[in-house]
This record gives sequence, C-alpha cells and structure tokens, in this order.
Amino acid sequence: MIQEILAFVTLGIALAFLFKKFFFKKKKTDKNCGSDDCACH
Amino acid sequence: MPFVWKLLAKLKLKLLTQGHRTNRWKKKGEMTKKNINIALIGNPNVGKTSVFNQLTGLNQQVGNYPGITVEKKIGFCKLPNNIKANVLDLPGTYSLNASSVDENVVIELLLNKNDKLYPDVILLVTEIENLKRNLLLFTQIKDLEIPTILVINMIDRMKYKGITLDIPYLENQLKTKIALVSSRKGIGIEELKNVITTYKTISTEPCLNASSIDEVYFNNLQKTFPNQSLYKLWLVVTQDVNFVNLNRTILKNNSFTKTNSELKRLQQKETIKRYQFINETLKIGQKIDASSATDFRSKLDSLLTHKVFGYVIFFFILFVIFQSIFEWSKTPMDFIDRTFAALSSTSSEKLPPGAFTNLISQGIIPGIGGILIFIPQIAFLFLFISVLEESGYMSRVVFLMDKIMRKFGLSGKSIVPLISGTACAIPAIMATRNIENWKERLITILVTPFTTCSARLPVYAIIIGLVIPDKRIFGIINMQGLTLMLLYLIGFGMAILSAFVLNKVLRLNCKTFFVVEMPNYKLPMFKNVAINVVEKTKAFVFGAGKIILAISVVLWFMASYGPGEKFNNAESILLSKTENSTLSKFDFKNKVASYKLENSYIGIMGKTIEPVISPLGYDWKIGIAIISSFAAREVFVGTLATIYSVGGSENDTTIKNKMAAEINPDTGKKIFNFASGISLLLFYAFAMQCASTLAITKKETNSWKWPLGQLVFMSSFAYVVAFIAYQILK
Repeated sequence: MIQEILAFVTLGIALAFLFKKFFFKKKKTDKNCGSDDCACH
Repeated sequence: MPFVWKLLAKLKLKLLTQGHRTNRWKKKGEMTKKNINIALIGNPNVGKTSVFNQLTGLNQQVGNYPGITVEKKIGFCKLPNNIKANVLDLPGTYSLNASSVDENVVIELLLNKNDKLYPDVILLVTEIENLKRNLLLFTQIKDLEIPTILVINMIDRMKYKGITLDIPYLENQLKTKIALVSSRKGIGIEELKNVITTYKTISTEPCLNASSIDEVYFNNLQKTFPNQSLYKLWLVVTQDVNFVNLNRTILKNNSFTKTNSELKRLQQKETIKRYQFINETLKIGQKIDASSATDFRSKLDSLLTHKVFGYVIFFFILFVIFQSIFEWSKTPMDFIDRTFAALSSTSSEKLPPGAFTNLISQGIIPGIGGILIFIPQIAFLFLFISVLEESGYMSRVVFLMDKIMRKFGLSGKSIVPLISGTACAIPAIMATRNIENWKERLITILVTPFTTCSARLPVYAIIIGLVIPDKRIFGIINMQGLTLMLLYLIGFGMAILSAFVLNKVLRLNCKTFFVVEMPNYKLPMFKNVAINVVEKTKAFVFGAGKIILAISVVLWFMASYGPGEKFNNAESILLSKTENSTLSKFDFKNKVASYKLENSYIGIMGKTIEPVISPLGYDWKIGIAIISSFAAREVFVGTLATIYSVGGSENDTTIKNKMAAEINPDTGKKIFNFASGISLLLFYAFAMQCASTLAITKKETNSWKWPLGQLVFMSSFAYVVAFIAYQILK
C-alpha cells in the first residue's frame, strides 16, 4: 500500500513538472540567459 | 497633431525624464542600490566575455569567433575599497549606428538613463591588434559623456606582434584611463579593478565635437533641446535609420529633420571625422615594428581558407572528430550501460517488492541510464568544438562557408547560427539576431533546426550501434563514425537546400553584407575548453535529464497499468490459451509481461498509431518513443529503455541488448534491422522533434505561422524520406 502511494505521489510530481515545463511560460528575469542553452531541453 | 513624429515621443521618454535614479536597486540579492553598474562594451570577438568572466568569476561561454553574446548578461563583482558592482556583458557592436537587433541592445541601454542597468562606468574593451578599428566605438561611447575606461585586451601578444603603446599620451589624447589586460591569462585584472574604483574622476569630455559634423544642423538640434547632450540627441535621431522607414519630414519645426539618405551621409561624415582623430592619436601613441611580427598567421590563413585545400582540411577535421567520438566513447559508454543495468537488477532484488520498487527499477533507473550513457559522446563532441572555437579555426570555417552560402542565397552571417546549431538550435536561432535583413534572418531561423544538434546524437549513436556494423573500411575508416559524419552532413546539406528554396519563395532582394573578424590563432586554453565541455554536458544532462526522468515515470505508469479484462486477467487468459503448450515458467512469465504491456494504456495508444508508422518499419513501441521525444529528442532512448524494461525479457540487461533483442512478432525479424534503422536515422535527421525549438521560433518571429509551417514541413518531409528509405531497403 505504501509503495502504491509513493508511486502515485511520484507520478503526480512528474505530471506537475511536465505541465509546468510545457504549459507555463517562464517569467524572464534580468539575471537570466547565458550559455545554458536557455531552457532548450 | 495628426502625425506625431516618433522622435518626439522618444526624446520625451528617453531624455527629458532624467531624474535621479532612485529606487533603482530594490531587487533582492546582490543587486542593491549601493552597487555600481559596469557595462562591458566593444567590437565582436575582442574578449568582452572573457573579461566579464575574470571580473565576476562566472563561466559564461567564450569562443574565438564573433557573435557568441547576443543578449546582455549580468554578473556581480567585488572591487577594492569595498565597492560592489553589477557587471553587464553586452553583445558586440562595431559602432553605435546599429543595424541589427543585438547591436540595438547596446544603444537602447545607453540612451535610457532610467534603465535600472544604465552604466555608471563603461569598460570599452578593445584588442591590441585591432586598436584602430576598435577606437571608433570608443570615441562614440565617450561622446555620450559616461565615464569610460579603455580596456586594451590581449596584451600578451604585444611583444609577439611588435606593438608598443605610449599609454600617458593615449590617456591624454583620449581623455580617459587605460587598463592593459590579458583576460585569457588573467593579467592586469586586479589593476583594472583598481582603475574602476576611480571612475568618478574620469573625464567625460567628448572626443569629437558633434557640431563639427554639420554646424547648422546640430546647432538647430541643440536649440530645440537645449538641456540634452548633443551626441545623444544625434543618436536618437539616427537610431532607427536602419530598422524602419519613419517619415521624418512631418514635424512642424523641421529645421533639423532630414531624409534617411541625408542622415546616412551625416553618419558617414561622422565616421570619417572620428577616424581622422584616431589616426592622429595612434600616429604617436602606437608604434608597430613589422619586422618583429611573424607572418605565420597569413601563411596558415591562406592554407585553411584555400578554395580547395580549405575544404579538404575541413572535411578531414570533421572526419577525425566523428571517428574519435565513436572510438573513444565506446569503453566509458559500455561501462555506464552495464552500471545502470546492474543498478536496475540490484534495486529490483534488494528493495521490498511493490509498485514503487518497480517504478525505480523499471522506470526511473533505465530512463536516467538512457541519457547518462551519452555523456562521453557529448563531452567529446564539445571538446572538439571548443578546441576549434578557441583556436580561431571556426572563423576560417565561417569564411569558407560564406562562399557556399552565397550560392544558396544566404550570407556567411547565417553560418554562425548553423554552426552553433550543432550544440542546440535554441541559442543558434537566437544568434540570428545579428543578421540585419529580416528575410535572411527568417530563412536562417527556419532552416537552423536541420543542423544536427547534440540531442540527435544519442538517437544516432544507439541506432548506428545497432544497425551499422562495427567494421573498418581499408583498416582505418570506422563505418559507424562515417555514418555519423554523413548524418551531420545530410543535416547541414538539407539546411542550405531549404534555404535555397525559401530564398526563391520569399524573394530575398537585398542581402546582408558579411564582414567576418579573422581572430588570431591561439593555443586553446585548457580552462576555457574544460568550462565549455562541463557546462554543455551539464546542460545536456540536467536540462534533458529532468524531462526524461518525468516522462519515464509517466511512461512506466502507462506501461504498468491498463484498462479492462485483458490487462487485469492477463495471466489467466494466457494460461487458458497455453494449457497444452510446454512453455517453461520463465518463458510464460515473459509472455505475460509482453501481453500486459500490449494491453496497457501505452500499448493501446501505441497500437492505435501503429498503422501510421508501420510503413516506415517501426512497431508501436518506437511510435510511442517518437511521440514522447517531441518534448526533446533524447527522450527517445529513455522511452524505449523504460518500455523494454517493463515488458522485456529479464535476460537482456543493457539498453542496447534489449533493443537488439526486439523481434517483430509478425515477421519474426529484428525490429532494429538495417532498413528500419536507416529509416529511423533519416526520420530524426529531418523531423522537427523539439517543442522548445518551436517555442523559440515563435518568440523570434513573433508569429505562430512560421513555427507551425516549420513543424508541418519538417515532419512530413521526414516521414516521406523515412518511408522511401524503408521501402527500398527492406
């Protein structure tokens, strides 16, 4: 049961991360952008 | 007023509101209002970013070719006397008469006193061998009446080139302080910091009296805006000359309005006057003893840019690079692959059984392993690219390619983004900002994703490893390395071919003139190369790694759960089906795993799209990998690793072995055979499998029309080519 809960929590985190990455625009700050490929991946 | 000239609004906005800069630094962290602002300005490729790195201790990318910095970068620096400073690295510009977007970044900042980054002091970076040309920008900046320090970089080459400087004379004539540095070797940086602390004592007297350009015109300008710096007014008037065609004749008081061509003539007159001043200054202040200078550079240049040998040498270098990438990476890659396979089976055995353990051993570990395995190849690729950049050879390549590019309707300015595209299309597309002509820039943006980026490398490497024999031609040429090189050339060839077609379609009338800086040859600095390799590899692993990790988790769920009877009762269904067969316990277990995978959520999805991709020689598992790799191409390998871990045989441990063992149940042939492998390689060579590239294209073109066109064209082209390749080779 605990394993199931942990697995589903991990799934939730993964989905939230992907949703944030591809559907929320990152707010540009003055300090950003360098040679880090600018969030290319 | 029916037509208000844009200039008035600009003047009001930028110049008439020059109040005290209160509350400029209320941001958190190091940027407080106590900090002074230092701006690094200079011609392209004079080493501004190297000076920036020395001052701030940061590791921004540097290279021995122009156009690397296209946006401003900010760092923090501690100076003597407890002074703290924000250091701003700006894109290179040859003058303040901007003609491209990146050059305009500099002017926009210098004309806006209300900008929170407006500099208290400017470090005008020049290099010892091109001082005359570099000083043009210095005299312009100086006339803005901002304290400006002249930083002469690369002084370690002074003796070698037979150059001597009369510093007191130059300081007196140029009304500034001079700092001699070698940013590569860290010479003179402490002295530079000391000079910066005295910035308030630096004269802000202009080098050129702007009125001398055209007395009547400038006097009228000054009369209209009596409280403003004359040269700033002149810059505001001319700032948009190269960008938009403003109507400059509608202002009521038109005593200082001029047509574009008149303004350009005045700009030319200004440049001549400045060079007269520079020539007179350097006549006494700089001595060059030509007999002490060696002519090694020109001899090497004539060889490396030769119309035949230049290309032969370039292709030979490419050949060596791709051979080495495969040869040298083999051992560390095998080691990483075995380590992750062992980690996966150990976690499965040692951790308590359950869903979370399965997620770790079948989802997360294979997914991460699928990306980390490519670290050696990525590191070697960037090692070679960094050495070529640092040595100054890349500028010769740019020069060589300019000749080819012109035949396809583009200038050499497009080659810088195309070469940068070998790392990643995102910064490459941003690098198009130094292309003045909009259509030429647009074409470069649209074709850059064809160049082989580092994200394609993992896909190429794994497929080549599976379908191209590890054999040598004539005992020297490794076939796998040769295939990789061909794929890079195909990508580049497709980029320039598409540019040619687009050039005809979009009817490009005026072209950008390309002036390439030929930097000196330098022995690559170990530190710069190491920083570049580490930073790029880190960006590859951590950037893509997070997405791959998240996708691996989602995929594992989709592969481990499914709807309906078939998935939930897989064991009993198969038991009834195989009652009379003599399957071993091990074989039966594998059959159940495979049956469950086919009826899982991901299996159902994959089977739905299978009819579309089967003509290309792919099964549903590859189809899922292609879809998920739209987030980032590298996800392809991680996805297959996860899918095969969930449904695969426990005998095959490493990713490569799992992929090699996959059999098509219909044909009984290997899934990854020569025909399907080549088809996949060509599909990834041409397909737009990168959501981030689409986003940056949208940003740079300010329209969805172009990225969508890019997506449709590239994907359909990739599909057709992959289809033809498979149908011919199968």
